[in-house]
Amino acid sequence: MATKTDHDPASMKAMVEKIKEQGELQKKWKANFFETPFWRSIFRHKVDETPRNRSLAVLSNVFLHLHPAKLNRDSVRYCFNWGMGGITFYLFIILTFTGVALMFYYHPDKANAFRDMLYIRNDVPFGNFLRNMHRWSAHAMIIATWLHQMRVFMTGSYKPPREFNWNVGVILLLVTMLLSFTGYLLPDDQLGFWAVTVGTNMARASPLIGHEGPFVEVLHPTAFNDVRFALLGGSIVDANALLRAYIWHCVALPIVGSIFMIVHFWRIRKDGCLSGPAPVMLDSEAGKAKGRR
Amino acid sequence: MSDSASGASGATTRPTPRPPGAVAPRAPRAPEQRGEDLAPPAGPATLKRRSFAWGGLKLFFLVIGGCTVKFFFPRTLTEPKTTFKIGRLDDYAFGVDDRLQSKFRIWVCRDTQRLYVIRAICTHLGCTPNWVASANKFKCPCHGSGYDSTGVNFEGPAPRPMERCHVELLPDGQVQVNVLRLYPEARWDDVGAYLKV
Amino acid sequence: MHFDWYQIWQNVSLPDNVPIVLMMILIPYYLWYGFREAVRNDRLIAQLESDPALAKTHHRKSFPFHPAWDKVLHSWPYLLRVEFLAALIVTAFLMIWSVYLDAPLEEPANPMLTMNPAKAPWYFLGLQELLVYFDPWIAGVMLPNFIVVGLMAIPYLDPSPLGNGYYTWKQRKFAIAGYMFGFLVLWVLLAIIGTLIRGPGWMWFWPGETWDHHRVVHEVNVNLHEMFGITDPTMYGIFGGVVTIGVMAVIGGAVDIAIRKLHPDMFRRQNLVQYLHTVGLVALMLLVPVKVFMKLALNIKYVWVTPWFNV
Repeated sequence: MATKTDHDPASMKAMVEKIKEQGELQKKWKANFFETPFWRSIFRHKVDETPRNRSLAVLSNVFLHLHPAKLNRDSVRYCFNWGMGGITFYLFIILTFTGVALMFYYHPDKANAFRDMLYIRNDVPFGNFLRNMHRWSAHAMIIATWLHQMRVFMTGSYKPPREFNWNVGVILLLVTMLLSFTGYLLPDDQLGFWAVTVGTNMARASPLIGHEGPFVEVLHPTAFNDVRFALLGGSIVDANALLRAYIWHCVALPIVGSIFMIVHFWRIRKDGCLSGPAPVMLDSEAGKAKGRR
Repeated sequence: MSDSASGASGATTRPTPRPPGAVAPRAPRAPEQRGEDLAPPAGPATLKRRSFAWGGLKLFFLVIGGCTVKFFFPRTLTEPKTTFKIGRLDDYAFGVDDRLQSKFRIWVCRDTQRLYVIRAICTHLGCTPNWVASANKFKCPCHGSGYDSTGVNFEGPAPRPMERCHVELLPDGQVQVNVLRLYPEARWDDVGAYLKV
Repeated sequence: MHFDWYQIWQNVSLPDNVPIVLMMILIPYYLWYGFREAVRNDRLIAQLESDPALAKTHHRKSFPFHPAWDKVLHSWPYLLRVEFLAALIVTAFLMIWSVYLDAPLEEPANPMLTMNPAKAPWYFLGLQELLVYFDPWIAGVMLPNFIVVGLMAIPYLDPSPLGNGYYTWKQRKFAIAGYMFGFLVLWVLLAIIGTLIRGPGWMWFWPGETWDHHRVVHEVNVNLHEMFGITDPTMYGIFGGVVTIGVMAVIGGAVDIAIRKLHPDMFRRQNLVQYLHTVGLVALMLLVPVKVFMKLALNIKYVWVTPWFNV
C-alpha cells in the first residue's frame, strides 16, 4: 500500500503530509455535511464505519432493506452465485426506464406506430440509442433468466423449503418471455408482424378453444370467438392487436411481473436467503435428512 | 419505589426494579465490536482513487441527466401548415369575414384602404373568440374579453389587442397568410401586416 | 462445394441473431463453471466418505476455510459493492452494444407479403422448429404447457435432500441429466437450429451452405400407416393409436427399468404419485426426439391419423 515515488524522502514526506491534510479536510467537510439536520432528516443513521451503521445503512433504507443486514460470506462468491438473478432484475429496471422514455414518442395505432419508430431513430436526440438499449436489454434479460434458472437448478436450490419460489420463478420466466413477445409487435414492421402472426396462429390450434384445433365439434369455436380472437381483439393482426400488445407490454405484464417479483424476493429472504453454498451432505447422511426444514 | 434494600439482607441481590418498558443497560462492547478495527484508515493513494472513482460516477450521471433533458426536445415536428393561401382580394367584402375561423383560425378584415388578417387568439389566455356581427365586436367565450372590429380590446380581462398575421400578394393574385409571423398593435403599419386595396 | 464463410458471417452478425451467438458463448461457459464446482464438491464428498473422522470435523465446503475470517459479512458494503460492480459491467456492456449494433427495423407491416423465412423471435424458435415435426396444437399448445407444468413439478418430484445448496454431479445425476437434456437439447439446440440452420422456406442449410431462396427440395412424406399399407380409416385410426400408446408404453417401461436399476435411491424415496409423474414426464421428453428422428430420417409425417387430430 506504499505509494511509489522517486522523490527524495523529505519532499515525499511533505507530499504525504499535504495529501493527508486534504484528506482530513475532506473528512471534516463530509463529517459536517453528514451531521446537518438536512442530511439527518433523510438518512437517519450516522456514516462512520461501525457495525451498527453498516447494518442500518441497509435496514433503514426502503430500497435496500430487502437485503439482510448480514449474509454468509461464501454466498457472495461468484463461482457459487453467478449473479444472474440480480442481473435479470437490473436489466428489468433498465428496460423500465428506457421503455418509459420510448413511450413519450410512440403512438400505438397503425397510422403512427411505424412512423414513430423512424421518428425515434432519426429525430429524437438519443432516440436510436435508447431503442437499441431497450431491445438489447430485453434479449440479455431472457438469456440472464435462463442462466439464472440453470444455476438455481444446478445448486439444487429448488429443494425444500424453496419449492414455491422455484414455481414463482417459472411464472416470472413466462412473464419475461411474454413481455418480449408483446414488445416485438410494437414497431409494426414486417419482422414483428409476422412473428406475432406465427405465434398467435398457434393459438388457433388449441384443442377445444381454437377454431382450427382438434375437437372443434365440441364447442364450435370460430375465428371470431376463439382464444386467438381473445388475444388479438379481432380475427386478424391489426389495430386492435397492436393496442392490446401495447397495453400488455407496458402496463399489464409489468404489473403482474412486479407482483411476482415482490413475492420472489420476499420468499428468498423468508426461505433463508441464498441457499448456499451449503455444507456437502454425504449419501450416508441423506437417509437421516428430515423432509422439510 | 424499590424494596430491594429491605429485602436484600443476606440474600442474593436482585436487579434494580425498572419502570415497565425500560431497557436494561448492556455491558460495553469490545473494541472489535465497536468497529474500531473494521476499516484501516485509507492511505492517500486510496483516497485519490476513491475520489476519482466517485467523481467519474457523478460525471456519468450528470451526462445522463443532460442527455435526458435533451431527449425531450425532438429535432422535427409534424404540425399543421402555417402558411396557406386564402383566395383573391376580391373574394372578401368590407368588414370582418369569419369563414376561415374553423379551418385556419383567422379572420379576414377589409376596410376602404387595407385588407388584413387577425389571428383569432384571445390575448388573455388563448381561447378563440367569436365574431358577433350584431354587436360589431369579437367576444371571447372563456372570460368575456371583448374586441372591436379591428381587434382592439375594450372590455374584459384581455390585456392588449389581438395580433395580425403576415400577408403577401402572390404573383397569381392570391393572398398568402403566414400565421407564424405575427404583428402586435405597434407594428400594424409595417409592410406585410396588411395589403393595400 | 464451396464452404460459404460469408453466409455464416451474415447469419452470425445479423443484429437480431447476436443474442443467440452470445448465448452460444455464455451457456457453455457457465456450464463449465458450474460443473467445475460440482467436480470439486464431488471430490470432497469422496474424500469425506472415505474418512469418517475427517467428515466429523471438516467444514464441508470446497472453499478454503480461514478460522480468522468472519463467517458473515455485512451487506453494506460488501454485497452492495459487488452488486454495484455487476451493474457497472452490465451497463457498460449494454451501452457499447447499443452504440454499435442497431436494432432491426424492417419495412412497414404488410399482410400481403410474407418475408422468407418468417421467424418468431429467437427465444421461440425452438417451438417453431418443433412445428416441423408436430402439428400446431402439439408444438404450439401441448408441448409448451407440458414444459411449464414439468418445470413447476420438479421440486415436488425430487425427493432427495442431497445437493440442496451446492453443486454436485454424482449425487444428482438423474436430475441434472434430465434438466440438461430438456434445456440444452430440446430447447437451446432447437433454438440454434431455428436461427442458424433453418433458412428460406424453412429448409435445412448446413453451416457453410449458401441460403439459396430458389433451392428446391423434393420431400415425400408418408404417414406411418401408409408404410404398412393400411388404407381403411377405422383401421389406421386404431393402428395409429396402438403404435402411439405402444411406443409411449415402451419408452415409459424403459425409463422405469432404468430408474430402478440406475437410481434405486430415488425410486425408494419417491411415492407412487411422484414416481408416475417422473416416469411420465421423462417419457414425454424422450418422445420428442423419437418423432424428430422419424421425420428427419424416415420421412414419416403422422404416426396416428384420426378425423379429430393427428399426431
